[in-house]
Amino acid sequence: MSNKYTRQARLKLNRPSLRERARPPKQRTSIGHMFTTANYSGVLVMQHCQQCGLVQYPSREICQNCLDGKLIWRETSTTGHILSSIELHHSLWEYFKRRLVDAPWPIATVKLDNGATVFSHLYLASFREKSLENLTKGTDVQVFSHSDSSLNSVLIAVCATCDIAQLKDRTTIAQAMGLTAAAIKPGGI
Amino acid sequence: MTNSISSEAIRSRHPGSYQGVALVAASSVNYSRQSHHGAAWFIGKTLDKILKATGISKKEVDGLAVSSFSLGADSVVNLTQHFQLAPRWIEQLPFGGASGVIALRRASRAIQCGDANIIACIGGDAAFHRSFEVTASEFSNFTIDASFPYGAGGPNAAFALITQHYMAEYGAKREDFARIALSQRYNANHYPPALLGHKTLTEYQYLNARRIAGPLHLFDCVMPCAGGEGFLMMSEDRARHLNLRYCLIAAADELHNAHAEDEVQFRAGWSEYAVSLYDSAGLAVEDIDILQTYDDYPVISMIQFEDLGFCAKGAGPEFVRRTDLRFDRSGPEKNKLPHNTSGGQLSAGQAGAAAGYMALVESIRQLTGQAEANQVSDATHAMVSGFGMINYDRGLCSAATILKAGQA
Ligand SMILES: [Zn+2]
Repeated sequence: MSNKYTRQARLKLNRPSLRERARPPKQRTSIGHMFTTANYSGVLVMQHCQQCGLVQYPSREICQNCLDGKLIWRETSTTGHILSSIELHHSLWEYFKRRLVDAPWPIATVKLDNGATVFSHLYLASFREKSLENLTKGTDVQVFSHSDSSLNSVLIAVCATCDIAQLKDRTTIAQAMGLTAAAIKPGGI
Repeated sequence: MTNSISSEAIRSRHPGSYQGVALVAASSVNYSRQSHHGAAWFIGKTLDKILKATGISKKEVDGLAVSSFSLGADSVVNLTQHFQLAPRWIEQLPFGGASGVIALRRASRAIQCGDANIIACIGGDAAFHRSFEVTASEFSNFTIDASFPYGAGGPNAAFALITQHYMAEYGAKREDFARIALSQRYNANHYPPALLGHKTLTEYQYLNARRIAGPLHLFDCVMPCAGGEGFLMMSEDRARHLNLRYCLIAAADELHNAHAEDEVQFRAGWSEYAVSLYDSAGLAVEDIDILQTYDDYPVISMIQFEDLGFCAKGAGPEFVRRTDLRFDRSGPEKNKLPHNTSGGQLSAGQAGAAAGYMALVESIRQLTGQAEANQVSDATHAMVSGFGMINYDRGLCSAATILKAGQA
């Protein structure tokens, strides 16, 4: 067996598509990890500027308004409205590729009442219509954070009247979306 | 709240003249879907082609501007040792689809001020197996933390959201975007290096293609590939003296992160300087013979038609219904505007940062009469527009220039 052959075989076995368990993207910046940590103990936690009070998202080092360098992680309002929503039929990431086999993956950009614009997973089943066509711009939603199976905090948008006050309610939603479990390939390595 | 830049302040500003600066030696090299070569190879082969086309030696090149996503640990200065150049002016422009026009602006000033005499401007990128996934997943800090984790759609996801919003707001239909994609494919059918140029595209194929994200289907998305695009900049006097075919810069401008107050992107910085661009050039919209927009998705070309003054905001769908966008003006529509004459990225392929130079290179070819089967007849003025860097929910960079043919 030549070196070239073993190298190719090793590379082939290392392909994520052959692994048994695939998880959502794990990589974050150091501030992204701080977002995750801050959200372990809250419904939705974002940075607030200590000087001007502006809520910052995506998380950053410096206030985008007044350039103050002290941003404080604090609970913020979960309410907002949809700006645009779509279903993904294609993904660059193995975890989502596996989820997409069953159904397209809905996401949305949401304008929170605190001023921030967020990307979020969209829990379609929570809406009465259960289809994207009716989730037009301006539809009221709530956004909360939950850890995914890579142990990062991610944002989930649900209908405005859903009960999300209790952690168990939020966890039920994240589980129903499949976010808290790895995507399994039977017989994978 | 976020400060938005006052439009007034921007409109009152005209960049200085670009008089006396010439563009020569439009060169496109080695478009391929996948390659084992690295970025230095594509940039180096582009430089080689430029030098062979002009008879200029490496020694005479005293300026180098480069854009690439795949240089890894290297920057433009490392490349000087790869190619053994000794420039006294270097510049790196990591601005994606706006890189080419921004390079042109920076290099023009260097030539006008005498900081350099002959500047090579090159965009080049590699395409290793699965390298696009890496670029998309690590595109920016905001991408890593706040957009890629949501489905990992990459730029397709961001642009699907923008396209969806634009369609709902302005009544654009997929058939309207098809007109852009189909006429570009027609142009690519006459430009052999285009990676999809050997295939035709029908409206039926476009509408029924595989779904990618929201309203985007397969033929709304570019094919990532490897390749290089470049040209040389020098004084007009020098171009004449060397007997090179050249074109000139009538006007150019750029503006980044404009309209931060827009909830979803439906315009970019062009809207703030398009008028000043035509003023500086002493031209009207009707004088533009060729328009090259940055077409990573059809919706962004449509937004450029609007922001660059070819039609009003929201009138893009109506504009493409009544406008023939083919290079040879062979369509039935009465209004003619040869657009993305080599097929654009949608049909030629998106060679990373080279895609930010492609439209400029194609325009230089056209205005110097060096295009081949896709030559636009009677073209004196070309407008080239760049757009780039989906940092989070929108593209940040905008840049545009009007080029005019030099005297033969
Ligand atoms: Zn502040």
